[in-house]
Amino acid sequence: MVDRYENMKHWLTSFRTGLCLTLMCVLPVSLAGSVYASDPPPEGAPASVSVRVYLSEGAVPIDDPQSSAWDSVAESEFNLSPQVHWPDRLQEATVKKVKVRGLHDGQNIAIRVEYQDPTQDDADAAALEFMVGDQKAHFAHGQEMLLVEGGPVNIWYWKNETGTATDMSAKGFKTIKPQAQQDVSAKGVWENGTWKVVFSRPLETGDEQDIQINPGIWTSVAFAFWDGKLVDGSVKEKGSQKAVSSWWSFRAEPEPDNSIFGYVVLGLLIAAAFEFFLVRKLRKGQAV
Amino acid sequence: MKGPLFSTAILLVGVYVFLAFLLPLVTAPLPASLIYLYLAITLSGAMIYQTMSAGGLEAFMGPIYRFLSGEIDGPAKSARLLLLIVFPLLVGWQTYTKLAPSDLPPAENRTIHPAPPGEFVGLANPYPANEQNIQEGKGIYAANCSPCHGPNFDGKGTAAPGFNPPPANFADPGTIAQLQESYLFWRIKKGGVGLPIEGMPWKSAMPRWEHELTDEKIWKVIIGEYDGAGQSPRTWEEEE
Ligand code: HEC
Repeated sequence: MVDRYENMKHWLTSFRTGLCLTLMCVLPVSLAGSVYASDPPPEGAPASVSVRVYLSEGAVPIDDPQSSAWDSVAESEFNLSPQVHWPDRLQEATVKKVKVRGLHDGQNIAIRVEYQDPTQDDADAAALEFMVGDQKAHFAHGQEMLLVEGGPVNIWYWKNETGTATDMSAKGFKTIKPQAQQDVSAKGVWENGTWKVVFSRPLETGDEQDIQINPGIWTSVAFAFWDGKLVDGSVKEKGSQKAVSSWWSFRAEPEPDNSIFGYVVLGLLIAAAFEFFLVRKLRKGQAV
Repeated sequence: MKGPLFSTAILLVGVYVFLAFLLPLVTAPLPASLIYLYLAITLSGAMIYQTMSAGGLEAFMGPIYRFLSGEIDGPAKSARLLLLIVFPLLVGWQTYTKLAPSDLPPAENRTIHPAPPGEFVGLANPYPANEQNIQEGKGIYAANCSPCHGPNFDGKGTAAPGFNPPPANFADPGTIAQLQESYLFWRIKKGGVGLPIEGMPWKSAMPRWEHELTDEKIWKVIIGEYDGAGQSPRTWEEEE
């Protein structure tokens, strides 16, 4: 009887020890894990928050908006607003949304914008905007900020009429001008009410007026589109009258980094070795 | 069930429940990293306390040693095996989550209501909120603000969708109802570009209205805005 009771006590002791230890180990580790969990996206936000420019296996389709290579990568979609932020404003713009895909091969980058515009017109145009360097720039042409020192923006502008791109800079309203060193190409194809325009450039240009694109580094991109349709003899959207977005996140994807699996295995091995030596020492009855 | 080890575990669970579940009832939730830090401090404090007396060390560590070395039987034996397997896996998982590249852009903590510059603190609206000023203010609002902030003052204007952050929803109790008229005067006059760095001025589409609206019109649009949104401004008395 007494024996049984002793047994029971022993059993209970070891059980609760196990329970305590498990709690003590698992609780902090799972807590630490939750520190890295990310926040859910804000309610009502559009589907995309970023443009990811994927690393391509083959050559980048720099002058083919219809290449099948575009189908191999995920697209982002952003809503656009008629430009009502500064004069001259526009109450309604033709282009309402843009779908964006990107590819790079470590040398060149190509970004394709795809959007609806029912008519093909000479004055149809599209633009991408980027911050230059580390300095933050306001999305409206790098307009002056009052309490923060702002930087310039780099604008890649394509117009159907010329069929080419212009590499431009701005720092404030009415300061936009083409750069001395032109680095951007563009090609647009209109079909059944949809424009597909590819902008391309080397990732690095050596021009300090340009964005230099470092794979793996997050930066910002904004969009603008003009419907060049003629209404009563004048162009419907031109200059500040256009469809716009503010900044969204942008990144060229880095080479996949497999070294982290090495570190994971290393972590496993170190933990296992620690256990092995600890248990061995305890078994030998030595005090730790 | 008693014993130093058990009481330490109870203490840890108690502290965790208090920090993670009870405290958020009265104040803002603590970040998980801080909870983790407090638990670590509690654990080391408890260990020092429990092992101070002679025999305390044995009472505290003895069960742990016996458990780990396997000089036990019953279900604890399987628990031990489980622990020995799970611990390296957790270490591996932690390593992975720490090193794995994220596909998400870095989280940006934009301060929505940063402190205004000194000259915009405590200004009183020189115009009374009478019917005439309300109507005048609503007219200025309809002409200038409703494309973004919406005809219903809810942030859902036709020009809102392309902007990130979106135009403020004045009907939401979290925006203008929390603010003084003086603060709105600053925000409307200087716009997004007038925000300090923590407000991320480079992202804001809120126009700098001082180029287009007189101070009088700005004060009146504030009156129209509060009335239209069914809110009232926060006053100085409430601040005290
Ligand atoms: C181009 C779109 C646009 C227009 C037009 C516009 N706003 Fe805004 N407004 C915004 C955006 C976007 C924000 C949120 C970002 C920020 O706080 O700067 C904002 C924020 C505000 C805020 C701050 C609310 C808060 O909770 O902090 C006030 C007040 C405001 N707007 C008033 C006005 C008034 C009054 C007008 C018209 C005279 C106006 N806005 C016109 C886009 C706009």
